[in-house]
Amino acid sequence: MILGIETSCDDTCAAVVSEAGIVRSNVIASQGLLHQRYGGVVPEIAAREHLAVIGPVIDDALERAGAELADIDVIAATSGPGLIGALLIGLSTAKALAAARQLPMVAVDHLHAHVVASALGERPIEPPFVALVASGGHTFLARVERFEEHQTLGRTLDDAAGEAFDKGARLLGLPYPGGPEIDRLASEGDSEAFAFPRSAPGEGLDFSFSGLKTALLYAVRDLGEARTAERRADLAASYQRAIVEALLARLESAVIRERVTRVAIGGGVGANRELRSGIEALGDRLGVEVWIPGFSLCTDNAAMIAGAARFQPRLEYPSYLGLDAYARAA
Amino acid sequence: MNLLGIDTATATRAAVLRGDGQAFDRPASQAESGPHRDHAAKLLPAIASRLAEAGLDYGDIDAIAVGIGPGGFTGLRIGLATAIGLARAHGAELRPVSSLAALAAEGEGALRLPLIDARRGELFGALYEDGIQRWEAFAAAPDALVSRVQTELGEEARRLVAVGDGSLRFREDLESAGLAVAAPGSMSHAVSALALCRLAVSVEPVSPEALIPLYVREPDAIATR
Ligand SMILES: [Zn+2]
Repeated sequence: MILGIETSCDDTCAAVVSEAGIVRSNVIASQGLLHQRYGGVVPEIAAREHLAVIGPVIDDALERAGAELADIDVIAATSGPGLIGALLIGLSTAKALAAARQLPMVAVDHLHAHVVASALGERPIEPPFVALVASGGHTFLARVERFEEHQTLGRTLDDAAGEAFDKGARLLGLPYPGGPEIDRLASEGDSEAFAFPRSAPGEGLDFSFSGLKTALLYAVRDLGEARTAERRADLAASYQRAIVEALLARLESAVIRERVTRVAIGGGVGANRELRSGIEALGDRLGVEVWIPGFSLCTDNAAMIAGAARFQPRLEYPSYLGLDAYARAA
Repeated sequence: MNLLGIDTATATRAAVLRGDGQAFDRPASQAESGPHRDHAAKLLPAIASRLAEAGLDYGDIDAIAVGIGPGGFTGLRIGLATAIGLARAHGAELRPVSSLAALAAEGEGALRLPLIDARRGELFGALYEDGIQRWEAFAAAPDALVSRVQTELGEEARRLVAVGDGSLRFREDLESAGLAVAAPGSMSHAVSALALCRLAVSVEPVSPEALIPLYVREPDAIATR
């Protein structure tokens, strides 16, 4: 069994996954509310909190899996990209645990773990497939030929989709994190009420969300405070529709261009209800099979880290003792 | 009882104090001064070396004496997270020790002012007399520290010896105000992981969630609401 540890942003996560990819436990200690009053993740506060809970979170993951440390064969941890101070908590704990038990260790790339999250569970996806990963920190399309690696087809040129949700929510006076708030409010609004721009210029598979954010800013300014408050649900619905359609349009182009028959999503924005139903509809329309992981496998989690570790080289003791974290994608 | 001592408040430090009293440490070198951003790469290799020198396995460690700073936040957390992982692996105890107390514990002088470079032109420090802490850990600019020493210690200040990388960094400021700084080549400027082990003997073990760095400073964050 594989113990996975993930601390790249503001969630402290540990999970136990079998070699066959069955999730035995998936513990996520979210710091969301801690950062609410700052309107975003404060790296130093995130790192302080990770350190305070990493021990109990690992214990919880083992207990929920009905496992002892002695049952663990491999330890996997996210080594990047992410907040360096946060990453180093999970990675240092994982390295020390692995070293003291003389276990092999796998350093997992956070983005790759999102891409292959659908390889987990009773109905694992099979390559080749195209994956759309969208979260607060990253938004990109990838092609997977083999689980060991992925090829990036396109990425956001400015904000990530989740960032667009957070910034939009802020303009609408909604609390952080913005994604769930807009999702909830949008269900009461008219998504056709406002015409917001959809996508980046050009024929490629890149995304751009900064124009959309600016369009919302102007709409809110033109309406004024009182009218904005009145029409908040319509604004949220129209704004969400624009983000989702931008994501779906590029995903559709990728599926057609890459001639794949399987599609997966990953990342926190994958929890958005409109995106989930949109991808199901896209699958039906194009005749491709769709993998939409459960919420707890879309948002940052350690099960995807342990799952991805199955396809990565195992570093034997003591070769990983000097392993370091990296902040940016290579 | 076999003790492993680790400290990442300044340079990477690791030592083993075996149950039979034998100590295994590597003396600090001049090369260890300056910014320390390589704890992740250096700490576990240093621990593995000390254990090998002591002829011990990870499972032979009964307690981990871990320096809780103050110092660079990220570096300290690498040390503490490493200690948490090591302790969890075989059920060793976690015993937190102030890195300033370790600096004050060894070397000449009864009245000691351990100082750790806090960046931004400030020092982390505390005052110890014969191993007893007289001042709470603080962060202060050198001039503020000097005036506090003069106001609160008066004549006593002449007995005081400042140690640590912070005292070297601001040596001129301290010495021109009449404070003694240990000689630049002195071993007493480096936090000794062995001193941590010795101090830890009388420290109560804590749970991993109670193992918190001595931050002294609040995080930089601005509330938006
Ligand atoms: Zn993520």
